[in-house]
Amino acid sequence: MVKKVHYTIELIEISKSFKRLNFANKRSYTTLKSFFLNPWKTLFDDRSVKRVAVQNITMRVPRGASVGVIGRNGSGKSTLLKLITGIYRPDSGRINVHGRVAALIELGAGFHPDFTGRENVILGGLMHGLSRLQIEERLEEIIAFAELEEAIDEPIRCYSSGMFMRLGFSLAVHTDPDILIIDEVLSVGDEAFVRKCKERVAALKAAGKTLLLVTHDLEAALRWCDEVIWLDHGEIKDRGDPRRVIDAYRGFLEKGEEQQLSEKNRQTDHYNTNLLDDQEKSVAFVEQNELSDSFNSDFANAFGVSGGAISLAEFKRWGSRELEIRAVELLDQAGQQRALFHGGDVMIIKIIYKQNEIVDDYHFGIAIRRNDGLMVFGTNTLIEGQTIIIKNDGVITIELKDFSLLEGSYLLDVAVHRSDGYPYDYHSAVLHFAVRSEKPRIGVCAPILTWEVGQL
Amino acid sequence: MNILKRSFVDSWEHLAKLWRFRSLLIALVGRHLKSRYRGSILGFIWTLLNPLLQITIYTIVFRYYMRFGEIPNYTVFLLCGLLPWQWSVAALAEGASAIVGNSHFVTKALFPAQLLPASVLLTNLTNFLLSLPILLLFLFFTIGASWQILFLPVLIFLQLLFLYGLVLLTASLNVSFRDTQHLVGHMTMFLFFLTPIIYSAQTVPERFRGLLKINPFTIFISSYHALLYDSAVVPLSSWAAMSALSLLFLLIGLLVFERLREGFAESL
Repeated sequence: MVKKVHYTIELIEISKSFKRLNFANKRSYTTLKSFFLNPWKTLFDDRSVKRVAVQNITMRVPRGASVGVIGRNGSGKSTLLKLITGIYRPDSGRINVHGRVAALIELGAGFHPDFTGRENVILGGLMHGLSRLQIEERLEEIIAFAELEEAIDEPIRCYSSGMFMRLGFSLAVHTDPDILIIDEVLSVGDEAFVRKCKERVAALKAAGKTLLLVTHDLEAALRWCDEVIWLDHGEIKDRGDPRRVIDAYRGFLEKGEEQQLSEKNRQTDHYNTNLLDDQEKSVAFVEQNELSDSFNSDFANAFGVSGGAISLAEFKRWGSRELEIRAVELLDQAGQQRALFHGGDVMIIKIIYKQNEIVDDYHFGIAIRRNDGLMVFGTNTLIEGQTIIIKNDGVITIELKDFSLLEGSYLLDVAVHRSDGYPYDYHSAVLHFAVRSEKPRIGVCAPILTWEVGQL
Repeated sequence: MNILKRSFVDSWEHLAKLWRFRSLLIALVGRHLKSRYRGSILGFIWTLLNPLLQITIYTIVFRYYMRFGEIPNYTVFLLCGLLPWQWSVAALAEGASAIVGNSHFVTKALFPAQLLPASVLLTNLTNFLLSLPILLLFLFFTIGASWQILFLPVLIFLQLLFLYGLVLLTASLNVSFRDTQHLVGHMTMFLFFLTPIIYSAQTVPERFRGLLKINPFTIFISSYHALLYDSAVVPLSSWAAMSALSLLFLLIGLLVFERLREGFAESL
């Protein structure tokens, strides 16, 4: 029987959900008692609360293609991989996988710490479906690739984590895979080894192997893949040409962040107005937004920003309030409220103030700090030599033209104070905003620069 | 009807995969055996020493302190029942945690989960087989053996099937009900005293024989006694009963394991 295989991986309308583990609700847990009371129901009844992990996914990967899967944390990427590798079974739909799969999901899964590297490679090879003979043939090559000639007969527990990963990677790529599934592991070991890994993967790709790459590293996806699939909440949100899909995904992440920042600023504002009549000299206000943390790690991954982009910087306020700042707004050129700026944008800061007592020595100031505390820029009307005459209530507008900051998260302070520094009203970390740059430059400021080559 | 058909296909697949992955299975057994004695000075000798020490204590207690006088060559009698029993207990106890204790295999690697309980069972079978020479030595130097001993492999094979069913059951149930591993410990303790190992089935008063008979281990251990200690013929009816028991438990084990298999990766 000749069967024509067009696709190495074929998923047709795959759905998978998990039973929700609800710790608050005791009834949702199967206990031994309920099992004995009604074994049939426990084993065969599936009407429990479900959380959908992936839904209605159809994808076909032709032989020799490279497909990237991107998406935020919890979008179902790992579930999809585990379905393809057969670790999970789908609730509905059909999965056809033709060929041997090498999954670089967890390198060295199944290595036993008390056994030597050599013993573990043999056992691991058997697990990957190689025969004993095939393993014997490749053993030296695997060891050489992992650069472990010296330590191969020592127990694995004596290995450094880098050595462990190298052995795991080397084993996986030497199992003659037809399909290589890579989940964020192209970063094992030192730089030289990473290069070697990438070369090896490229060689496999060139040899016509199918590649499935799950990653937050969008640059890698762009470089390796012929097609990119963007998963969101378990469904395919977009697919196709890598450049287009990745740009759409980036845009989506930016929009999400913009929303989050303005949400955060609204909370701060809310606090502000509530405290108008409060005589407390300082208030502390701690952010606790878990969702924003997970979101930001996606964002950080996508844009190569390290660490949580938005710090837990506290809003603080102090001063004697003869002059009072009632609200602060951050606007773009069009007068639109914004929390996300791009390098080179115009930024407008509006300070709405109120005069409670007549004073004649007053200056307004602003300061921008990066979220790690670095003071980026600060000035006030005294330094600038600006004379401002205020009457009762009003608004002060500061325009920052060609706003040249590099990518990062920043905080804004505004204040009104006496020339000797005595504060009437000081708002620290009153607004959060983020800056995105096109080029992955390093540092804080973005001077306009040109490069020129000349003779000495 | 569909469920029935699928269950049988699954069961068949289950056994076929054991065969297909036999070299991995053997490697896993080898690893278990090696890791069991790795780092100990006596190493493999423990396989022989363990039952020896155990029967020494049992003989002292039951033979001399409690004077179980009716059984001649009590030490040999003990060994005949104790060795296959030890195999069962170890397989059941370790089998219960075979899946749970190796979650990284189940959730990350790609090989059939039944290899885990199967390798536990075979590891303990190997241990049992390796300790058999002690039993045979004792036999030869005391009461001698008859040609009935040739049936021993058949008996061991039937017990293997029976135990595999039980191990599949405990291993898979323990994934969602962790109580299983605790229950197994207590159950085997009860069964140790309810199975004719330290006493002979004949000494049990008539009115309690029923209790003895409903214990599926009784017939296996009694057959060991018959083949080795009594040099008697095991009646055909006993062979039929053991075959039926083995197949029944194997089937139950297979069905439950296959039914619960999907949930392994998710529950761990």
